[in-house]
Amino acid sequence: MLHIENLKVFHGPIEAVRGISFSVKEGQCVSLLGPNGAGKTSTISAITGVAKSTGTITLKNDDLTKLPVESRICKGIALSPEGRRVFANLSVEENLRLGGAHQKEGLADCIAEWFDTFPILGERRDQAAGTLSGGEQQMLAIARALMAEPHILLLDEPSLGLAPKIVTQIFKMIGALKDKGMTILLVEQNATQALRLSDYAYLLNNGRIVAEGTAETLGSNDTLMAELTGLT
Amino acid sequence: MEYIAQQMMNALSFGAEYALLALGLAIVFSIMGLVNFAHGEIIAVGGYTMVAMTSLALSNPLIVIGVAVIAATFASVTLERVAFRPVRYADPTTGLLTAFGVSIVLQNLFLLLVSPRPIAVTSLYFLEWPIDLGSIRISSLQLFETITTIAVIIAMTLFLRRTVLGLAMRAAALDFEMVRLTGIRANRVFAAAFMISGLLAGIACVFIMARRGSVDPHLGFDPVLKAFVACVVGGFGSLPGAVLGGFLLGAIEVAMLVMLPQSLGGMTDAFVFGIVAMLLIWRPEGILTPRREKGDKQ
Amino acid sequence: MTLSRSQKRGLVGASLLALILIGIGLVASYFGSRYQLRIVYGAYVNLMVVLALQVFMGNARITNLSHSAFMGIGAYVAAICVTPVAMKAISLPNAPWGLSTFALDPITSALIALFLTGLFAVLVGLFIVRLSGTGATIVSLALLVIVHSIFLYRTDIFKGNQAFFGIPQVFTLTSAVTLAVLMVFVVRGFRESCWGIALRASADDEVGAASMGVNFFRLRLIAWVLSGILLGVAGIAYAYYLGTISARPFYFNHVFLTLAMLILGGMRTVTGAVLGTFLISFGLEWVRWLETGPEVLGIDLPEVLGLSGVTLGAVIVLTMALRPGGIMGDREIEELVLKK
Repeated sequence: MLHIENLKVFHGPIEAVRGISFSVKEGQCVSLLGPNGAGKTSTISAITGVAKSTGTITLKNDDLTKLPVESRICKGIALSPEGRRVFANLSVEENLRLGGAHQKEGLADCIAEWFDTFPILGERRDQAAGTLSGGEQQMLAIARALMAEPHILLLDEPSLGLAPKIVTQIFKMIGALKDKGMTILLVEQNATQALRLSDYAYLLNNGRIVAEGTAETLGSNDTLMAELTGLT
Repeated sequence: MEYIAQQMMNALSFGAEYALLALGLAIVFSIMGLVNFAHGEIIAVGGYTMVAMTSLALSNPLIVIGVAVIAATFASVTLERVAFRPVRYADPTTGLLTAFGVSIVLQNLFLLLVSPRPIAVTSLYFLEWPIDLGSIRISSLQLFETITTIAVIIAMTLFLRRTVLGLAMRAAALDFEMVRLTGIRANRVFAAAFMISGLLAGIACVFIMARRGSVDPHLGFDPVLKAFVACVVGGFGSLPGAVLGGFLLGAIEVAMLVMLPQSLGGMTDAFVFGIVAMLLIWRPEGILTPRREKGDKQ
Repeated sequence: MTLSRSQKRGLVGASLLALILIGIGLVASYFGSRYQLRIVYGAYVNLMVVLALQVFMGNARITNLSHSAFMGIGAYVAAICVTPVAMKAISLPNAPWGLSTFALDPITSALIALFLTGLFAVLVGLFIVRLSGTGATIVSLALLVIVHSIFLYRTDIFKGNQAFFGIPQVFTLTSAVTLAVLMVFVVRGFRESCWGIALRASADDEVGAASMGVNFFRLRLIAWVLSGILLGVAGIAYAYYLGTISARPFYFNHVFLTLAMLILGGMRTVTGAVLGTFLISFGLEWVRWLETGPEVLGIDLPEVLGLSGVTLGAVIVLTMALRPGGIMGDREIEELVLKK
């Protein structure tokens, strides 16, 4: 589905991503793990086109490299960004409407569906998105991304800044999405939760992939897990 | 009593015009942080279009108004494409200075290609006639202006709340990048903003022309200054703020005209600006500014 | 006093610029006609304005639109103080507060003018420095309009748009060059001083600076007041050479002109200020010559009034679009000569 080859991302003179390659197969949930500054968000930015990069990015055999941001999104990428970035001055419903903007028919039905899946969002449909709690905003961000019925969902640090109970809820939700067959690329600092969901994971550090493997392989590597989770 | 009612009508119609002008500026600023000083020249484009039509012996008022408004809208969108696209994501200072530059270029192009002297535009005189409401005498133009502005505000509110593009523009005011990340084309959002801005300028132009009866290269300077001040007072970037600022400015101006003794008449501008400066010091962000919500990544 | 490395480089840079300025001045004095001398003088006065502008805009990174107003204040105060009583009787018959009864020597007048301009700068600055970038620009615009209105309105003191004449013409090109050279050292010195460096560092990130401490406002204020005083000097130089002033030159057209000069050269450096000023001063003269429809190679060119305005505007737009940092960008002149 998504194939990245020799990706390099520069922020000015600093090389944030130093040539990584990975892929996400259809229906898979792949995680990019690693500490702060490893280059995870830079990778996401490169895929969406926000950050300039070199290397190849292919989605379902379409070469995305020369396309601007909006075109890439329309090709089937959806993003729930770091920090959630809901449109604070718009209502919950308006946020969803924007998310599904390039869907011609059935917008209202789609929105109604999401309100069924997340009753809280339904309750707050006319509320300004900026007044929602962190967890609710994260739900909204994901729902907004999914309104576009994408081929692949990019999730950047969904657990950031949320209470542990809410984090569990969010990951349950992501798990449910995965069970429905959604292709997911997950960027997370919370390695334990992420690995539970993922089929495959890559560990980034300093812009390079330093380890990769299935959840079991990485999970059973105790030294690695200690590094990632800070527990011994 | 009639005097007060008369002055209130004046304040209302002044305010309506300033609100119209301010909205034109605010809509562009709220999305790209650009203070479009060339807005005044868009108005002048409308005026010169009217001149062109007179010289083509087209004096049907509806055609004159229609074409002028279309010309202003078109000019605004063209300006965005040609002059403002390169500085689209630049910092506010760059945009501000580019707008200044565009304004000077246009003013001098009018001077160069048309004439440095004012040219009369008489096709809109019919719009103005006195109306007696009880014991107050008002001008029909004032009435038209107020009604039009209210209609425009309603139309814009509907557009911004009901259409996808309108939603995108409101969202873009806080987080443009995220709007792009939902797949909505940046070009479309910017073009729409400038189109609306041009439309508003065109409508304002009709009223300005009807009152002035002539157009000259520096026509745009005063209106854009007033619009600017109105936006500032109401809170730059806030659309309701622009409307509030416009009406407030109209009220302050009429109040100054009424209250200042004859001897200080020439100082109206200075006093108005002085009040504005003080308002800014009291509320540096303007009276109603869009609030930055926490939890948004800037 | 030991100078830091950047300060030493600054000294070199300022000296290089000084040499260039003196050079141009000498060439103009020996070879220029009277008319050309006036133009060169005008360029030097504009240079002083642009340098003053650079102090604030280049370091605090905020667009200031009121600079011509400060120049006007300096010019008018000095003019009122220095003009002989006999002249004032004719030009300011109705002057209040006994302004037409005294006349001071040029130096005292200049000092009074600088003092008042500085005072005004401090009073206004206390408010302006607390505003955000755009807010400060807007208030500076308001300032420009207000000061201009006062000039126009109090004709008993300022004579409005009519010429205020009779100012003793005590300045020559040499005086202007000397002042400009001094200013180059002052402005460059400020740029490399601890204030200048701190200001430039915090200007790039207002929020970061605010979390760093209150001094940010003080830094801005220092730059603002320095800028104001230097503008006063420019105004005095203007008045002392021309002998007559009016309100018109201290308004929008001059603001745009000097702004364009700073932008073209690059507002972050002193070299940029100098380069932009001379490029536009001489370039504009050439365009103005074209405007009059001269004869070139036997062809009679048409009159093109407004060409200078179009060129000026185009310069601003193109520079912003293609090279927002101006020609010099971040580089001062010594970087072309010294090794890093």
